[in-house]
Amino acid sequence: MAQDAAGAVGARLSPQVDSLIRAAQRGDQDAFEQLVRTYDQSVLRLAMNLLRSPEDARDVYQEAFLRVYRNLHAFRFDCSFHTWLYRIVTNICLDQLRKRKVRKEESSVVETSDGAIDRMDAFEEDAAEADPERSMWNRQLKDKIEDALRDLTPRERMVFELRHYQGLRLRNIGEMLGTTEEAAKNCLFRATQKMRAVLGDFV
Amino acid sequence: MTCDSVSKLIPLYFYGELTPDEEDRVEDHLHECAECTTALARQRTLAAALDQRQTEVPLLLLEDCRMDLMAAIQGGAPRQEKSSKGPWTLFLEAIGATFTGLNRLQRPVGAVALIALGFFASRFTGGNPAAPIATASTSPDEVIATVRSVHPDSAGHVQIAFDETHRRTVSGSMEDQNIQKLLLAAAREEDSAVRVESMGLLKTRAGSGEVRDELLNAVVNDPNLGVRLEALKGLKPLLGDPQVRKTLLQVLRGDESAAVRKEAVDVLVTQRDDSMVSALQSLYQKEDNNYIRLKLQKALKDMNASIGTF
Repeated sequence: MAQDAAGAVGARLSPQVDSLIRAAQRGDQDAFEQLVRTYDQSVLRLAMNLLRSPEDARDVYQEAFLRVYRNLHAFRFDCSFHTWLYRIVTNICLDQLRKRKVRKEESSVVETSDGAIDRMDAFEEDAAEADPERSMWNRQLKDKIEDALRDLTPRERMVFELRHYQGLRLRNIGEMLGTTEEAAKNCLFRATQKMRAVLGDFV
Repeated sequence: MTCDSVSKLIPLYFYGELTPDEEDRVEDHLHECAECTTALARQRTLAAALDQRQTEVPLLLLEDCRMDLMAAIQGGAPRQEKSSKGPWTLFLEAIGATFTGLNRLQRPVGAVALIALGFFASRFTGGNPAAPIATASTSPDEVIATVRSVHPDSAGHVQIAFDETHRRTVSGSMEDQNIQKLLLAAAREEDSAVRVESMGLLKTRAGSGEVRDELLNAVVNDPNLGVRLEALKGLKPLLGDPQVRKTLLQVLRGDESAAVRKEAVDVLVTQRDDSMVSALQSLYQKEDNNYIRLKLQKALKDMNASIGTF
């Protein structure tokens, strides 16, 4: 399970982060740059992992930190900076995931000479006829994992990402997503169930 | 606890998100129930499979994002037109190579460097981003960290200082100046296999002043036989250069390896230089390797010189 070094370090070393924030709020650009560098690797990794596209991840990065820059004066230290930043980042990523979901739903039915078939069905047929060799199996597993993750709702996907890959606690995740720990738990449970259903033969 | 209620808690148990009480109850149940134990094992397998999907952030992408952001904040130009240094330059500067006049935007589009940096290449050449991304993802950065100090403080926090070394893969044509700079840096690496490989590539580019200097340095000073031999081969086309001839004579006089001296004599005698007669005569007197003596003898004969000084 991946632990998020930048996030964890950033959350714990709050005195240093606090002084960077205060300096940045006073207009110190170097302090802002340092603040960005404390967190930006984990932000970019989150975006890359969720969106699987360097171009999209780059857009998320840019938009998130520009929002931070513009709104930093309004940060009142009533939560950790990490949580505040991740509220911004997760919002932008969720928007992206929702847009994709709509696009996918619009385009997931393709016309063939036999009429409409679903891409997922076609994939599963391919998988059933596949070569039993290990590399093929691994490739199928990889594809299946992508399918399983795509099957999650944007919110489930986000909770899973933050818990599994970024190693954040569900209580913290709830705080970031503006919900309760209990709701985050339910999300994680549903995400896991769905993935187990899709990956049934593989895991 | 029933199997039904435990199965709902297994993902949370796996992620350590249960209260201690709930955790105890789940564990008690697991001790007695093979079915739920299997379900936990499946959860672990699922997590392990998902771990493999983790993406590493290419450091160059990170650098590019940082530059874009700073450009935007400083009221900067649109990102494609920014004039600040690109990650490639930063990378080379980071490893200590000096750079002037590098402008990646003006580089030709062909199969030159930045191929492994596919994502960036695609941005600037306007190519289809899909193909290069796959290339980039095959060479993820590795981070090696060495912890230097650990200091607990009274507040219950720990301060840890560590050095990070990032491993990165780049690829490009030998024509590329950046690749040549990297090879020059590699020619001074501690790992002799890296030096041999680098020298083997650099020897084809001896026309460049920097490469020539590196070959001359390596042929005399490198402790590895393979590196010295490669460097010697590289110097062959530069025999017209008096400094090169002087260095080859130095090798012939001083190198402890007969293989290197053989190679040196082979290179040296390909071009007649009457001013070397006395040096070759003295070498002939000292040399105990027959092949080299014969070579020297023939060279002296070609120059109408005797094999010894009388």
